[in-house]
Amino acid sequence: MSPNRRDFLWTMGTAVGVSALVPIEQIFWAPEAAADVGWSPGLEEWIRSACLVCPARCGITGRVVDGRLVRLIGNPLHPMSRGGICPRGVAGVQQLYHPERLASPLVRVGERGSGEWRQVSYDEVLTRITDRLQDLRDQGRPEALAVVGGYAAGTMHDVWRQFLQAFGSPNYVVDGYGDGTDAVMAAMHGVDRYPSYDLESSDMVVSFGAALFESWWSPLQAFTAFGRRGTNGALHRRFIQVDHRFSRTAAHSDAWVGVKPRTHAVLALGMAYVILRDRLFDEDFLAEHVSGFEDFTDARGRRRKGFRSLILQRYRTEEASAITGVSVERITDLARSFAMAERPVAVVGPDVTFAPDGLLAAMGVQALNILTGSINRPGGVLFGKDPPLAPLAAVVPDSISRAGLATASVGDVALPFGSGDPVTRFAEAAAGDASVEVLMIHGTDPLGTSHRADLWERILAETPCVVSFSPFMDETTRYADIVLPDLLPYERWQDAPTPASYPYPLWGINRPMVAPHEGGKHTGEVIFALAKTLGGTVAKSLPYDTFEGLLKVRAEGLFKAGRGRALAREFDLDSQKKQEERGWWLAMHDNFDAFWSELVEQGGWVDLFHDFADPYNLARTDTGRIDLIPNAVLQAIEGDGLRLYGHGMRDGDRGDKSFPFRLLPYRVSTLASDTLGLERWMAEQPSVLPDTQWRPWVAIAPKTAEALGLDDGATVNVVSRRGRYRARVSISPGVAPLTVCAPYGLRHPGGAPANPLRLLEVSSDPITGIPSWFTTFVRLEQV
Amino acid sequence: MRPGVAEKLSRMSPDEQALLRPLVSTSRAYYVILSVFAVVFLWGIYAYYLQVRYGLGRTGMNRPAYWGIYIIDFVFFIGISHAGTLISAILRVSKAEWRRAITRSAELITVLVIGFGAVQPIIDLGRPDRLLNIILYPQFRSPLLWDLMSIMLYFTASTIYLYVPLLPDLAIIRDSGIKMPWLYRILAAGYQDTPRQRRILERFIGVMAIAVIPIAVSVHTIIGWIFAMTLRPMWHSTIFGPYFVMGAIYSGIAAILLAMYVIRRAFRLENYFRDIHFDYLGRMLLLFSLLWLYFTFAEYLTAFYGSQPAEMRAFWAKISGPYAIPFWTMVAFTFVIPFVLMARRATRTPVGTVLASVPVIIGMWLERFIIVVPTSVNPRWEISSLGQYMPTWIESSIMAATFAGFILLYMIAVKFVPIVSIWEIKEGRKESVNEVASRVAGYLPDDIAREPLGADR
Amino acid sequence: MSRWGMVIDLDLCTGCAACEVACKSENNIATVSPEQADMNRAMSWMKVVAKETGEFPNTAVEFYPRPCMQCDNPPCVPVCPVAATYVDADSLVAQIYPRCIGCRYCANACPYTVKYFNWYAPEWPDTERQYLNPDVSVRPKGVIEKCTFCHHRLQKAREDAAVEGREMREEDYQPACAEICPTRAIIFGDLDNPSHRVAQLKEDPRAFRIMEDLGTEPKVYYLRRRG
Ligand SMILES: Nc1nc2c(c(=O)[nH]1)N[C@H]1C(S)=C(S)[C@@H](COP(=O)(O)OP(=O)(O)OC[C@H]3O[C@@H](n4cnc5c(=O)[nH]c(N)nc54)[C@H](O)[C@@H]3O)O[C@H]1N2
Ligand SMILES: Nc1nc2c(c(=O)[nH]1)N[C@H]1C(S)=C(S)[C@@H](COP(=O)(O)OP(=O)(O)OC[C@H]3O[C@@H](n4cnc5c(=O)[nH]c(N)nc54)[C@H](O)[C@@H]3O)O[C@H]1N2
Ligand code: SF4
Ligand code: SF4
Ligand code: SF4
Ligand code: SF4
Ligand code: SF4
Ligand SMILES: [Mo]
Repeated sequence: MSPNRRDFLWTMGTAVGVSALVPIEQIFWAPEAAADVGWSPGLEEWIRSACLVCPARCGITGRVVDGRLVRLIGNPLHPMSRGGICPRGVAGVQQLYHPERLASPLVRVGERGSGEWRQVSYDEVLTRITDRLQDLRDQGRPEALAVVGGYAAGTMHDVWRQFLQAFGSPNYVVDGYGDGTDAVMAAMHGVDRYPSYDLESSDMVVSFGAALFESWWSPLQAFTAFGRRGTNGALHRRFIQVDHRFSRTAAHSDAWVGVKPRTHAVLALGMAYVILRDRLFDEDFLAEHVSGFEDFTDARGRRRKGFRSLILQRYRTEEASAITGVSVERITDLARSFAMAERPVAVVGPDVTFAPDGLLAAMGVQALNILTGSINRPGGVLFGKDPPLAPLAAVVPDSISRAGLATASVGDVALPFGSGDPVTRFAEAAAGDASVEVLMIHGTDPLGTSHRADLWERILAETPCVVSFSPFMDETTRYADIVLPDLLPYERWQDAPTPASYPYPLWGINRPMVAPHEGGKHTGEVIFALAKTLGGTVAKSLPYDTFEGLLKVRAEGLFKAGRGRALAREFDLDSQKKQEERGWWLAMHDNFDAFWSELVEQGGWVDLFHDFADPYNLARTDTGRIDLIPNAVLQAIEGDGLRLYGHGMRDGDRGDKSFPFRLLPYRVSTLASDTLGLERWMAEQPSVLPDTQWRPWVAIAPKTAEALGLDDGATVNVVSRRGRYRARVSISPGVAPLTVCAPYGLRHPGGAPANPLRLLEVSSDPITGIPSWFTTFVRLEQV
Repeated sequence: MRPGVAEKLSRMSPDEQALLRPLVSTSRAYYVILSVFAVVFLWGIYAYYLQVRYGLGRTGMNRPAYWGIYIIDFVFFIGISHAGTLISAILRVSKAEWRRAITRSAELITVLVIGFGAVQPIIDLGRPDRLLNIILYPQFRSPLLWDLMSIMLYFTASTIYLYVPLLPDLAIIRDSGIKMPWLYRILAAGYQDTPRQRRILERFIGVMAIAVIPIAVSVHTIIGWIFAMTLRPMWHSTIFGPYFVMGAIYSGIAAILLAMYVIRRAFRLENYFRDIHFDYLGRMLLLFSLLWLYFTFAEYLTAFYGSQPAEMRAFWAKISGPYAIPFWTMVAFTFVIPFVLMARRATRTPVGTVLASVPVIIGMWLERFIIVVPTSVNPRWEISSLGQYMPTWIESSIMAATFAGFILLYMIAVKFVPIVSIWEIKEGRKESVNEVASRVAGYLPDDIAREPLGADR
Repeated sequence: MSRWGMVIDLDLCTGCAACEVACKSENNIATVSPEQADMNRAMSWMKVVAKETGEFPNTAVEFYPRPCMQCDNPPCVPVCPVAATYVDADSLVAQIYPRCIGCRYCANACPYTVKYFNWYAPEWPDTERQYLNPDVSVRPKGVIEKCTFCHHRLQKAREDAAVEGREMREEDYQPACAEICPTRAIIFGDLDNPSHRVAQLKEDPRAFRIMEDLGTEPKVYYLRRRG
């Protein structure tokens, strides 16, 4: 028996012995980050700049310690954002220091999309590109160069345009924030501009499907106004959200009105009915500035019904109630408080415009502003001005560029109103058409974000030379031939004008806070260098060395404008505004350099004065009147079966047995288009309503979940006729029955996109060219 | 067994022969079983190693389920460990004569299990390397610290309480020379069983038996307080102290019964662990199953009747929510089965008591689970998100290793000490009958007792 | 003596979560992996908790931005066996990370579940370590952490005031969450100083504290939404 026991003891003993041979520390404690951050605080600076993460372009201040950007906070001198910023703005540091930033210019060596690259020097890439471009000019086809730009701010656009004009190509397409509201303004006001909203002075803001707090032009503009509501008046209940989804904006507005999908406009017109019936409209305003209100005889001598008759006939509250699902009392109430508010304003958003009859529906909403005279008055719809910047140097043409510019630009269709969706139009024309030889992509990722990714796949496969300026290996960049990484905003000079929704000209300055990344180069300065090496007229048209230098040149326009001032404390800005209202203005600097350094120091320039007396700010139609029944619109819809202020905007389409649910794609506020995956703070918690972490989700109503037998957190495939993708179910009481709310732009943790936009069966509004994103039906299949 | 040893053994009294044989003769099955448990134990050590190296993240715990298996096991094992010393002390103090055969095995359970219980909160620490901080920076307001002290006290007292009554037996082994004389010379510490020594020994055991009872009660009371001192729903309860003590004794009795049964089978000690012992302990099991029901009912009724929203969320989570299955299993195992089996004399047999004890042990583990987990995942603030808790293999392995380790130690221990106290049995044979008779006489009216019954009256 | 406290106006909060991210950035709070997040191990000293009720279209929601309540009578403090969570000289509930043994008793004792545990060692990609705040230590694995009311900013504000030889002003000490909030829903200051806004707002009829009945005396007040 004893050998038995001895064996046993041996086994145990050896085990203990072996473990004793390796240093205890290493065995027991896995390597771990040091408890201090690894460096001690040294020189600390606070640098004011602008956030370029989304089109709002808020003021920011960076805390830079020993050359590292450690925090981003707001800039209290910035009158739009007033010291606040949104979570994406804060997370900018994670973009700047992202581990996947490209470390140098790249040239493709393997197949397209194979991911095999060679790191090359900046000079080598530049020569390559110049050779390519020079070839085009030598062949006399400069128009074969096309540039697709993203939402790059101000002067960067101008530089691209200038370059292409000097080079000789008409093919510059950019994706602005095309929410289609410019078409409304063009149609009714004859103004070729997006509307601005004076939210801060309004005492009742009714938003029809504009995600003011999430993904509107400028969430910060809305936040600032919301945060101050009630501070300058007794009224607290001022923000009302009309939405077909319990969005975060709806959730924390003072009230929300849930409507059935695609019936926002019917609600607006139901309200108009009450206002007309109860004679609550602004009679003087209508008489003085508006046509099409009463019945009239048109140019061809036909008798036409005016707005009043149309609405009184078609939108009795009972009918509006039946269509929208909002009670008669609620509609009446809303209408009355809107009309009786001192400074009401109705904001129209993409929920309304991104539909097959988007323009007509949006006009219904704008009619509310017109009825109450909320145009060009404090708290209403304003048409802002651009900052009076000095122009770029004159373009010097040559014969090649003249010929090139004379060609039709790719995909250019004349739209009656607004700018539509130029990038998709470009894609539709360019795919399968060999006209583009060199394609430059700047600040956009069409393959990753377009709902027509199929077209972009073809374009990227067919175009002989694709150059990307992205600092990251995004979807499109994967298929490029040459990558010349841009710097990130925190490392470069750029201007940052506020978006269209903000009523005042504000020119933010984005300046470098940290040393540039060694692998990157300011794309603007790359263009200057390209122009120089191309030489000749191209070089003459872009006589700049640095972007900073160019901005300085442009700021001279501001210096000479005789209005506005550098960003400043609220008190100072207010007194400046009051002075300008009284008609005088004092120069604060007698030399430009001092002016410039104050702009840079404070973060930009602003002019808070708006001329309410100028009728040019009301309408720019031939008659000088706002038109409720614009002839051009009537012509555009002739034969389409659509009626102006008609019921066509009602929920006509519905799902069927195999695809029962309407897909409602929406953008989450934590997301700046495709960049979400980049910032871990954003990816970690893309939404607090519903509360989600990391993984893509779709929200459905509790009843829907019950009917499908789905639990919260179940994984489903969302399937449309066009495609499918995987997401988690989030059961949420704010979702309307028979709809699936699908945030777009999310990625699975591994990086694979979960994109509902690829499921869309897109048709466009024939008048505006805006795609309709809300007419796709899906089913859910449990995985 | 070597011939020399067999020869020596054969010269001893029958009691001694029966009770000392396990010390010197070991079957192959013993080694096989020992190895199996040793492997499980080593596996658990490996699991713990991974946990220390990479962090508590290897467990299933999270926010707000900050505590899991380890704390459940902590309560559970300390509970089991109660049995021994406490029950033995109570039986000694109350002079229950039937205790003689069972005190030793019970006390052993205490001393061997308590360490495994006490180590659980250490396994549960995020920074076991900083354990000494408890001594360096103690904060006496913390129930954890009270608990630390009471467990240490209990462990020390229990060890002494096990060791002192062992002395005469150790001396017997030393004198017989059947096993490792050097070891037993040290262990027996010069005890010669002189009448004076015996008197001191018995006096000491008497004092210890009394002293150890409040200590034992304190241990589990404080464990209950660890929970009760927080404001979490269904933890913040005044009844928790006694409830935990009761539960501890209950599971302890079940553990003793199981141990006795196994030892009786393994070493053929039917003569010592007699059916009557199982019967008596079975009665105690019956009593405690009723007590358990009473406490549990009182606890849940107060929660239900008060119907504070936070309490109710934890309440319903247990009664009909995600924890309904463990909850009702617990009720069946800790009340229904033992009650039904132990209420009838016919099933209070050794087999019957084991059939009741095993569910009681499992049920009491579940009870701790039901106390720790549903409350953990239902925070008091209604709108914070609910949690979930699913232990990982690391935790299960460590739990298995704890069981294995305890059994392993017990198996080794029975190879070194007689599992039934030899001297107490002897003493019982020699003196108890008379003593009991005279004691009984003492209970009765005087004139009848005048009939001389005992010699020393 | 100052009693620093917070008033959060629920009427102004839009649930944007800027406060959460600002806190993560200011206080070097590590991000956990998706798998860890699925296990409820994500850390956010400030957390916007949403409570949704009703059914479409009569849905309503409340957003509660929830930091540590910095209780005057904190249940988390006495239970700590090593006094690693304690009330400091500024009556803030603070953590001593190098002392904490990681028993998580304090976390269980906190009725607001605002304590976060480092289940694993925190990790950042090397490049991202550059944005870590040098004023705040990085916690090791196995210890508890929570909102500190950005205590390092108080120290800084105090030093700055001392250097300039003046009293500290309300705006000198503002935690990261209050500083960033775009609607100014978070107001911070000295509850005992009548000239500070929080001292006035806490008397507002809309003011309440979470689970006030527990007697924890939180220093974080909320203002109910207006009617
Ligand atoms: N956070 C953030 N903000 C941004 C940007 C950013 O990158 N980040 N980018 C800006 C840009 S470029 C854009 S284009 C905007 C986009 O911002 P939004 O224009 O707000 O875009 P979405 O949220 O996608 O809007 C789609 C809305 O339409 C609703 N909808 C769905 N189906 C229907 C339907 O059938 N009928 C109607 N009427 N509505 C429907 C959806 O529920 C959703 O609310 O955001 C701008 N603001
Ligand atoms: N998945 C998804 N698809 C979408 C949307 C969405 O939110 N999500 N939104 C839709 C809408 S409304 C629009 S307007 C479009 C917008 O879609 P895009 O125009 O593609 O906009 P982003 O996705 O933001 O593309 C920016 C890309 O530029 C790169 N980039 C980031 N910073 C810089 C920089 O400083 N310089 C340069 N040169 N490049 C930079 C990044 O790699 C990023 O991939 O997408 C549409 N489709
Ligand atoms: S709203 Fe846009 S610009 Fe403003 S901070 Fe957020 S991301 Fe930056
Ligand atoms: S930052 Fe302000 S508004 Fe946004 S969630 Fe936090 S408290 Fe609410
Ligand atoms: S986890 Fe740390 S701070 Fe909390 S009670 Fe334990 S030792 Fe104290
Ligand atoms: S909220 Fe919780 S962690 Fe903070 S002081 Fe109060 S009890 Fe302690
Ligand atoms: S006070 Fe400071 S630590 Fe606390 S939540 Fe706000 S930012 Fe975070
Ligand atoms: Mo857009």
